[in-house]
Amino acid sequence: MIPDQEIEIPISLSLTPYTGVWTGAEAAHLLRRTLFGPTFQQINEAVTNGMNETVAQLLTIPIYNPPLTVSVNESVSPFGTTWVDSVYPTDLIQRQNTENARRDSLGAWQFELINKQGLSIHQKMCLFWQNHFAAESTFDSRATYDYHMLIYSQSLGNFKQLVKDITINPSILVFLNGAQNNVFSPNENYARELLELYTIGKGPQIGEGDYTNYTEQDVQAGAKILTGWTIQNFLSDTVTDASSYFEPILHDTTDKTLSAHFGNAVVSNANENEYSNYIDIIFQQEECAKFICRKLYRWFVNYDLTPDVETTIINDMATTLISNNYEISLVIEELLKSEHFYDISVRGSIIKNPIEYLFSFLNSTHSKPLFDISTNYQMYLQTYWLCGSLGMSYHQPPNVGGWYAYYQAPNYSKLWINSSYIKLRFDASSYLTIWGGIDVNGNKLAVNHLIFLDGLSVPSDPVQVIEDLTIVFCPKGLTVLEKATLKTILTNGLPDFEWTVQYGEYASDPTNPLVATPVRQRIALTLDSLFKLPEFQTI
Amino acid sequence: MRRRDFVKNLSLSSVAVPFIFKDLKFEAVSKKLFDFSRAAEDRVLVLVRLNGGNDGLNTLIPLDQYDNLVIQRPRVILPENTIIPIDATNGFHPVMTGMASMFANNNLAIIQNVGYPETNRSHFRSTDIWSYGSLDQATNTGWLGRNFDQNYPNFPEDYPNEDYPDPFAISMGYEVSSTCQGLVGNFSHTVINPTDAVNVGNGSALNDGTYYGSHMEYLSTIISQTNAYGVTVNAAANAGSSLSTLYDPNNPLALHLQNVAKMISGGLKTKVYIVNLNGFDTHSAQIEAGNSLLGVHTDLMKTLSDAITAFQDDINLLGLSQRVAGMTFSEFGRQIADNASDGTDHGDAAPLFLFGSCLSGTIIGPNPTISNIIEDQAGIPMQIDFRDVYASILRDWFEVDETQIQSLFDYPVNFMPLLRACNLGINDLSKISFDALVFPNPCVNEAHLQFLCKDEWVKAEIYDLTGKLITTLVDKKLEPNKHEILFETKDLPLGNYQIYIQKKSGNETVKFLKLRTN
Repeated sequence: MIPDQEIEIPISLSLTPYTGVWTGAEAAHLLRRTLFGPTFQQINEAVTNGMNETVAQLLTIPIYNPPLTVSVNESVSPFGTTWVDSVYPTDLIQRQNTENARRDSLGAWQFELINKQGLSIHQKMCLFWQNHFAAESTFDSRATYDYHMLIYSQSLGNFKQLVKDITINPSILVFLNGAQNNVFSPNENYARELLELYTIGKGPQIGEGDYTNYTEQDVQAGAKILTGWTIQNFLSDTVTDASSYFEPILHDTTDKTLSAHFGNAVVSNANENEYSNYIDIIFQQEECAKFICRKLYRWFVNYDLTPDVETTIINDMATTLISNNYEISLVIEELLKSEHFYDISVRGSIIKNPIEYLFSFLNSTHSKPLFDISTNYQMYLQTYWLCGSLGMSYHQPPNVGGWYAYYQAPNYSKLWINSSYIKLRFDASSYLTIWGGIDVNGNKLAVNHLIFLDGLSVPSDPVQVIEDLTIVFCPKGLTVLEKATLKTILTNGLPDFEWTVQYGEYASDPTNPLVATPVRQRIALTLDSLFKLPEFQTI
Repeated sequence: MRRRDFVKNLSLSSVAVPFIFKDLKFEAVSKKLFDFSRAAEDRVLVLVRLNGGNDGLNTLIPLDQYDNLVIQRPRVILPENTIIPIDATNGFHPVMTGMASMFANNNLAIIQNVGYPETNRSHFRSTDIWSYGSLDQATNTGWLGRNFDQNYPNFPEDYPNEDYPDPFAISMGYEVSSTCQGLVGNFSHTVINPTDAVNVGNGSALNDGTYYGSHMEYLSTIISQTNAYGVTVNAAANAGSSLSTLYDPNNPLALHLQNVAKMISGGLKTKVYIVNLNGFDTHSAQIEAGNSLLGVHTDLMKTLSDAITAFQDDINLLGLSQRVAGMTFSEFGRQIADNASDGTDHGDAAPLFLFGSCLSGTIIGPNPTISNIIEDQAGIPMQIDFRDVYASILRDWFEVDETQIQSLFDYPVNFMPLLRACNLGINDLSKISFDALVFPNPCVNEAHLQFLCKDEWVKAEIYDLTGKLITTLVDKKLEPNKHEILFETKDLPLGNYQIYIQKKSGNETVKFLKLRTN
């Protein structure tokens, strides 16, 4: 294999608006990177509407309904209503059961949102921030919900404000021990991650306790600055909302001196506003903009931050971000419309994460559970667990740095694949494509073969079916041999016209299982083979 | 020329030698060398990664520092009378009964205060440093991966093959190990349950020289390796056995290690196994409030101790004790003082454990010194560099040539005897390089200290096991040479002593026993 150091460099290293050809390949590239699995129709509409209009549509945020109660273990909020503003039961066992039910509800709801993403980048951004502010779900699901709603509301908003809100978010105060950080005994956990992972990032260690952009002195001072914030009403049986508050007695009121990296700034006591003043100081460093732009670049474009990319794309993105006071949507819009984003050298450069993997074939094939809410939630919960088995538990990142694939050199997204995971991925795609799918009381969630097939440009033409599949699922196409093999599977090795005849019989009598079943079986086997090709694993 | 061709050519020229040897037949080579090679060839190293930064001070407690530890960590400190003493000045966490008896049976050794200069307290960076065996920001290959690269060129393209049908390393679970990251591929093959048969079909795609192309080649390779290695791993696990009754079915680490034992006993030629235990980042609730005997860290210590104990028992029962050794590691220790959340924050050095039957020592290095004054953010200072531990393991266990070992590290490594007890010729002073030696040992009236040094200042001191300085043997600049110092021992009380030799070319510790008084 080729070491990454010598891979072909991009032709364009510019954020200049892209003006090249706009075909299915470019439109699909944009949608694969911003959605969890676009449909063939979405790709065609994007071709028709053009890049600018499509990006504008992608940057709209849908309105969501909150998660619902579907489990009998929930003992406060009635079936079919939301629990997010309900108290907990007083009885300890009931409380734990209720919390378990709420946690499941949250997982199912999250995957329903991904399954019903519409034409919006929003869910991709939410997962980006979950990876950036990588907090595990906390022990009160109302607080976990609040954390995710904070991310949802700010996902295309102001980065600096988001960091401020995250800093005093109840879930984060629990997860990174801010709630226990007080004047009597500072706990450094949040103060360190605020600098290292949330805002400015660590550079090379250039001296004892000096990480180029900040020092251990700043970690220590930051911990003191953040003292006093704590939490209340977690799992309360009387108050409907877990929250954070500032307790002056717990706050360190001394002056805190930052290192030379922050101009030896002195942060004086400002009680509940002090954290905000501190974050303002951190954000005066240009490095904050570069740090988040690198992560956005890795998320949307490519893992490889070459020195050239650093001095061109990252610098330019950071300039845009700073000149717009850290508003995120503008820098993303610029990136998604740039020459560099459409450069052939970065197409297919990301291996799908497990959620992208699973929903690339569920969403692209219009596969949704359309049963009662209880059944739907159970099915979504199973997809949630399935992604956990494949290495990505939403609400449970492996550690405070997020998922390895987004930071661990040199392999990055290759880390999603190894001999353990490849087997599970192939089992999962076969399970949903040819083995019947997720079963809840006899109802099935599986790939929707016929609706997918019917929606292609010329479903009666096997050559065109394979071309359409390639556009939807393969960032850089397939070889002639692979296409021929897939077509042989589709036509069962018969001449092309036999498929045309077979499809025609089905199309004129679609509810007749005698003609529908053979067609469904052929497209199912074709998709199952396609989903096991290396080409399908990338976006 | 593309880099891959360069790498290929390089490896063809430099690594062709073993293949020529093979054709000439090994009988032509000296008998001794042959024995060395075969022994090392069959050896297995098991790495146990403690993920999150283990609190060394609540794992191995320096009993001679206990009073000051009470001042530093009033919440998490373990009651003195519950600590299991393992020698005069050290004790284990009360749940580590298994590892305590391993220590008593010479199946466990401890290296004190292992770390590196100026600890990076980021989990991520420090994990990379420990995995890569390098402080250089630019390094992104693992310490074992680099060694594999030297011996097995063109990985992964040319593997598995007839000569090497088995994975070089196996990482139990879902993640490959960064320790085994080579220049191009990662040498560790992930295994969840080795008794499950695996077949993931076929996949082949062309590398067009782009990022996408490198993914295509990677995916194709993984698919074919998964199938090929799946067969040999499966066959070995099914042919292998496990004889110990100590494995707890509720201990996930123990179950991974039991599978490792099965694969080794089933004849798999894999040289390195990696297992992980998560949860060591104990910023809060390391203990149960008000009761330091319970809590997360206690559970982790029990899981660790029980699992390693069962595994060693199994290895002994399977008759594999001369072939299997293990090591624990964690990205850093924790701070000396505890915090108000019943936890401890990121620190510096910590003890590291070796296990097996071929250990050279018992406790290497002096106890940490704990101050009675709480200093902000203070950790345990490093005394032994982790790269010296890696280098010594490669030398002692895999019998890698010292020059090759040095080429793997961007730092002048120092060797110390760690896993030499099963090697031939360990007392052979004619070797090009050797470790400091005391003879006779045990001694009565006098003894000799032998050591090598460069043109440098050398300080050698004798300590008793309480850490008390007995005498200084030398403290001056010496010529580059092998030196021998005669010293009197007749007035020393009976017991064990350590000589600590400080020199720029590498500190060394050597133990001796004063046997009787004439």
